[in-house]
Amino acid sequence: MENIYLPDLAEITDIRQETYDTKTFRLRFVEPARWDAFRHRPGQFVEISVFGVGEAPFCLASPRNGADTFEITVRSTGMVTEALHALRAGHRVGVRGPLGNGFPFDEVKGRSILFVGGGIGLPPLRPLIWEMLGARAEFAGITVLYGARTPADLVYKEDLEEWSGQGDVECMVTVDVADESWTGNVGVVGTLFPKAAIDPSSTVAFVCGPPIMIRFVVTDLLGLGFAEESIYTTLERHMRCGVGKCNHCLIGDKYVCTDGPVFSYQQMKSMMDPG
Amino acid sequence: MGQLPAYVIGQPALSTWVETMLDRAEVVAPRAAHGEDVTYDVVHTPEQVAWGYTTSLAPLKRFLFPQVDPLLRWSRQGDEGLQLEPSYDERERVFLAVRPCDVAGVLFLDRVFTRDREDIYYLSRRRRSTLIALTCTEPGENCFCVCADAGPFLDAGYDLQLTRLSDEYLVEVGSDKGAALIGEADGLFAPATEGAMRTRRDLEKEAETRFGEHQAYFAAALRKVTFDQVPDELWDGMAERCLECGGCAFVCPTCTCFLVADSERGGEGERARLWDSCLYRAYALEASGHNPRAEGKHRVKARFFHKLSYQFAKPLEAHGCVGCGRCVTTCMGSNDMPAVTARIRRGAM
Repeated sequence: MENIYLPDLAEITDIRQETYDTKTFRLRFVEPARWDAFRHRPGQFVEISVFGVGEAPFCLASPRNGADTFEITVRSTGMVTEALHALRAGHRVGVRGPLGNGFPFDEVKGRSILFVGGGIGLPPLRPLIWEMLGARAEFAGITVLYGARTPADLVYKEDLEEWSGQGDVECMVTVDVADESWTGNVGVVGTLFPKAAIDPSSTVAFVCGPPIMIRFVVTDLLGLGFAEESIYTTLERHMRCGVGKCNHCLIGDKYVCTDGPVFSYQQMKSMMDPG
Repeated sequence: MGQLPAYVIGQPALSTWVETMLDRAEVVAPRAAHGEDVTYDVVHTPEQVAWGYTTSLAPLKRFLFPQVDPLLRWSRQGDEGLQLEPSYDERERVFLAVRPCDVAGVLFLDRVFTRDREDIYYLSRRRRSTLIALTCTEPGENCFCVCADAGPFLDAGYDLQLTRLSDEYLVEVGSDKGAALIGEADGLFAPATEGAMRTRRDLEKEAETRFGEHQAYFAAALRKVTFDQVPDELWDGMAERCLECGGCAFVCPTCTCFLVADSERGGEGERARLWDSCLYRAYALEASGHNPRAEGKHRVKARFFHKLSYQFAKPLEAHGCVGCGRCVTTCMGSNDMPAVTARIRRGAM
């Protein structure tokens, strides 16, 4: 019988500082054979262990691109994340996964795609953006709208630059509060909607960010005429086990860890959320 | 199960039989605890089995899903020397003289821990265990198993089921494992007569009339909770009575929420899962400070949605209550199952 709680060891091969409180870790399994079974897709997550401190869920932040590594982007905000931030390349962590359902991909081929990310909500969208750009001809338009509190809170600055420079994707960035160096858009991410060329009838939206941002963005999108089944988001919960046993992530009878974390707004509406 | 054989065993032979079980397995049975209390515990002699008990203070849960359940251990030798060792409990166990509600509780746990994905820690214990039920001819004052289809006698699910007749025990076989257990000590058992079986049926009928004041209106509660028809004020009212002590979850045979925690000292580490309660304020708290169940009513609603909705009752093949009455005994705010289902039924506190 498989042990659903037993992590595999992975080594940190690279660490990039994204912001003052956020780092991206690249990981490689110590046992190369483990990688062959690690068939992840965008929207899925992993449980990462810092042994002696604990385990916490993180979305997979890198696309499938032929490398034998994967990435997670981590904001230092709790016990496990603080311990992760203290690690260096060469240190080992535990990995369970990939877990969860992932974003639809084949199902939305032929449609225009709108990505709306807020703050640390861009990491779950990043692998999907790259994979869709990798199959660019399969999709009509691709638009990436990203907002953060301040310029210092923006993650993936290199990716954003690359997407902005690419002719076949529309990429816009905004901040709630600008500083002296900022010459771009100012305002919440919803203020970018009028500036982007969006046809709600033919577009599927992928939204990820803090709960309040998701609430406002979904309201905006519905107002623009998006269908409820054309809005997807990934939900965040403190998933202790990640495999549908500990019950911490339940929303009504749905386990965010195994039924999600990706849900359409239509599905979310039908969930009996006591909270 | 009617076609399976039944036997009788006399009082002196019963002790001999317990001895044979003690020789080959850890035997867990009702045993005197503090004061008047009896609780399931490991016994070392046949005399320690408290055959005449009414209910056990705690259910069997902790022997299959311990309050602190080690998942893995590691030791560090330098940076690279991290070795992970899962720790499995592979003891052979006999659960002896277990009340039907608690057998039903174990059968519920079986479904929880095999639903979608198998839980190796639970199952490694469960598959090495034998369940010997003891029917209830005298229900306790807080008991309502008869409302929950979990007693006072069982039709199936046990390996063996004992019923106290006047001076002997009737032994009904419920599984191959149970039959094998009889086979190992067949000199101690005699085939049950039709008279003994008739007495058993009479005792069951009689026991069903002896339940006390507590009843749980499951049908009404199931329907209203399933269709979200319970007024918010009711969840609020119950939240006000909840002291967040977690007692209801800890004594409940079907509650299985857990969290996972690490500890490490001197390079030796352990990860364990620990019982948790969905009524605790910080149960769903996230590192960001966001709490999706910030209000008490969210937590009370989540608890009873899990226990009483058809959405859960269907995959788990039962609602999450076996009528053992322990929440009646434990809850200082009277948020016990009979009280909660009654409030839901009438739509008022």
